[in-house]
Amino acid sequence: MGSIEQEFPIRENVKITKPSFPSEANTIEYAKSLDAKDHLRYFREQFIIPSKANIKATKVEKPGVSNEPCIYFCGNSLGLQPKAIREYLNIHLDTWSSIGVHGHFRRLSDSPMSQWQLLAEHASKQVAPIVGALPEEVATMGTLTMNLHLLMASFYMPTPEKKKIILDWKAFPSDHFAIESQIRHHGYDPEECMILVGPDEGEYEVSTEKILSVIDEHADTTALVLLPGLQYYTGQFFDIKTITAHAQSKGLLIGWDLAHAVGNVPLQLHDWNADFAVWCTYKYMNAGPGSIGGLYVHERHGKVDYSQDENKPVFRHRLAGWYGGDQVGRMNMENKFRPSPGASGFQVSTTSASDLASLCGALSVFNQTSMSAIRKKSVHLTAYLEHLLLSDTESSTHAFQIITPSNPEARGTQLSVKLKPGRLDTLSDMLEEAGIVADKRRPDVIRVAPVPLYNTYEEAWNFGQIFKAALAKCE
Amino acid sequence: MAMHSEGITDEITNNELFQVSTSSYSNEREFAQLQDEKDPLSYLREKFQLPSRVSLNSSTLSLPATSQDHDPGIYLCGNQIGLLPLQTPILINEYLRTWATQGMYGLGKKMKDSPLPSWGEIDRVAAELMAKIVGAHPQEVSVMGNLTTNLHLLMASFYKPSVGRSKIIVERETFSSDYYAIQSQVQWHAFNVAENMIFIEPRCDRTLSISTSDIFSIIETNASSVALVILSGVQYLSGQVLEIERITTFAHSRGILVGWDLAHAVGNIELNLHDWNVDFAVWCNYKYMNAGPGAIGSIFVHEKYGHVDKTMGMDGYRPRLAGWWGNDVQNRFEMKNSFEPAIGATGYQVSNPSILDTVALISSLRVFNLTSMSALRQKSALLTGYLEYLLLQMPTCHLFELMTSPNESERGAQLSLRFEQQVLDGVMPKLRQNGIVVAQKKNIMRVAPVPMYNTFMDIWKFVEGLRNALSASKL
Repeated sequence: MGSIEQEFPIRENVKITKPSFPSEANTIEYAKSLDAKDHLRYFREQFIIPSKANIKATKVEKPGVSNEPCIYFCGNSLGLQPKAIREYLNIHLDTWSSIGVHGHFRRLSDSPMSQWQLLAEHASKQVAPIVGALPEEVATMGTLTMNLHLLMASFYMPTPEKKKIILDWKAFPSDHFAIESQIRHHGYDPEECMILVGPDEGEYEVSTEKILSVIDEHADTTALVLLPGLQYYTGQFFDIKTITAHAQSKGLLIGWDLAHAVGNVPLQLHDWNADFAVWCTYKYMNAGPGSIGGLYVHERHGKVDYSQDENKPVFRHRLAGWYGGDQVGRMNMENKFRPSPGASGFQVSTTSASDLASLCGALSVFNQTSMSAIRKKSVHLTAYLEHLLLSDTESSTHAFQIITPSNPEARGTQLSVKLKPGRLDTLSDMLEEAGIVADKRRPDVIRVAPVPLYNTYEEAWNFGQIFKAALAKCE
Repeated sequence: MAMHSEGITDEITNNELFQVSTSSYSNEREFAQLQDEKDPLSYLREKFQLPSRVSLNSSTLSLPATSQDHDPGIYLCGNQIGLLPLQTPILINEYLRTWATQGMYGLGKKMKDSPLPSWGEIDRVAAELMAKIVGAHPQEVSVMGNLTTNLHLLMASFYKPSVGRSKIIVERETFSSDYYAIQSQVQWHAFNVAENMIFIEPRCDRTLSISTSDIFSIIETNASSVALVILSGVQYLSGQVLEIERITTFAHSRGILVGWDLAHAVGNIELNLHDWNVDFAVWCNYKYMNAGPGAIGSIFVHEKYGHVDKTMGMDGYRPRLAGWWGNDVQNRFEMKNSFEPAIGATGYQVSNPSILDTVALISSLRVFNLTSMSALRQKSALLTGYLEYLLLQMPTCHLFELMTSPNESERGAQLSLRFEQQVLDGVMPKLRQNGIVVAQKKNIMRVAPVPMYNTFMDIWKFVEGLRNALSASKL
């Protein structure tokens, strides 16, 4: 029996054993038995789950009125709302309305949040364990693509000889546009300078070996490698540690887009020596649509050295703004840019206090657990879903293919399912009818993300039932 | 003389709207009370949560039940952090309900009877409301990012230095964030900072006033080597309003573009960015725009720079640092790897915006929509004129110097007062004790009576408080 009681390997050199399931696994009773033992089961009630009626409604309703929850497998697009966020936002609005400008420097003793000037760092301290970084390596700021531009200004320093960027062939379009425009900005030709690394013909998984060999092939003319920690389309979790080490062994800098990784899979950015990373917080971090993003910069890149001249600190070049200055200098508004050491020194603008309040509400949930505990359930739950989809079917009649790697080490929560042509609409309609929310990627792919903090094994079982019924209908 | 433009229909004249003119000021308390009673814009004050004297000095959120004193504070700091509109918590509640009950469907679904648009459209709705405030066509405005990150994005498009034409003209006393940003942009292009930043010195170090003819002559002298001019529409420290139209016209006549930082101008003075042919501008929305600390910012890009010719690929639009949210809305979600920017300022967006922040901004914009910048400015001129009048009547007025110009057209809401450091340090705590909030930077006090929610009585009480504080500290 695939047991979640067994000691979960959190040390990276211990392989994750792929859970296996008994013959009776494809029953609702079995699913319920897994829910009864789920070590994260109490987290679900910390979230607001839309009801089936809610998601069909065209008028905004009060949450929680109908008690038939929908099955929300879309936390990889937009995470559900932690109940704590309302409370944190109320506190923020009360603070703003009662002390106005004093909110910058005055901490109210009965508020869980610090004063606004320290609030971004307050949030970053809580984000750091989620990404496996030192607190000073994390900044809470901006939005993913804006942060990517800022960090590329610091880490993409092309020369006529070394100007290429190696990226994922199916990078999220925003990254693709960002990279292309950065290359153009430096006066180079994107077509010449963008090296796309993708899977072999007919495959979806990009092997680590392939990535390493592309790095080898282009290392002499490459300035930067920029990859997704977890690929949005296929759900593949890249071997960040190995790829980072290899790129660096060739003298290359490497940055990671962790939009789909943060809050989903355990990360050890500091130990893996990653140069930099960016992410958003509205997916697995559940901080709300468009909520404030984050970035990571390894401590070795964040040093501010006054040893040569105490008036002319030496630091990695960056596009600057007052918020990158240390707390004292920031308010003195002098014309000498003295960045804070670490990721904080890459901040530019004042941070939105309401966004930060929202994020702090979301983090208050993560603070009660760990990425290790989340990963433990994620591996098991996703394996269970996969088992349900694949069981009781002959491979020759498979009307679908799971294009996410089957090795749990190479994936997170999400499964991407590619259907045989013409089936997506039928499946989609039946899912909608059953109150199941999953993401469609036309023409043929559906992405399903059973999120550990609020999804259940029973929901996975229900999904499996509808899925099979939809495919049967299409035969 | 208030600034006018042919483009704006101005039905309201000074005489019709306000039954007071600057020549009829009196320092009697009753005069202030009477003006407030007759103020045709007094209804706007009720749209805001006014911090009380007690809460302003509190170190906890919850106030003691025995607190008798709920007198509103004298909040003359709206030029730093504007107050909370009462509708904002209501709209935020609506946003939370939508997220809670719709999950990711909130992106595309327009809910019936909802006071809010769908998340996919919300930044455009905000931009249309914002355009009226700055005298722009809706397509010329985008709600996005934060001031300094937006400045970086726009400089990436508008600061295109070449050898021999790489300099940037900037005020010596520009806000530090702009200074750091500009400096880092010069460095990003590998030019020498000392040689490429040309400063406009104030005529007078005490008042920090800048003369337009000095700006003209610096532009003239350096015309052939200047790549860009960046100026503040309203100088943050002195409160001076620069002649945006005249300076822009002059720079254009010498073949030079001008970018404007309007942080202290938007929501404060009347702007006609389109008619004045302004090239580009950036601003934040947490000052006079009352959208909350660090709230989402906005940009203006003149329509002449927003054209997109789809037949020309990458050469069909002005180069910029790109991201998916700048893509044409029609095919934004097709996830193609070719960037096709939207026309206008929207095409300069990069990331999907914080819906929470945008909701707070819309809440504030709807209050602005109840009136006009023209009416607000007229009241503002009267309030600030009244403040100046009372200040100069004080027997102790020799203890400070009014830095800001006495001419209405050269100032907005704010007056800056220069003190001896010791005197100001002694005055500030006394003001605070009386629930009076003004801004201090070193030995300069900035007082900004905001027409939206400040009253003649606020000003009368402030001056009384200042008089008492100065008498108490008089040597």
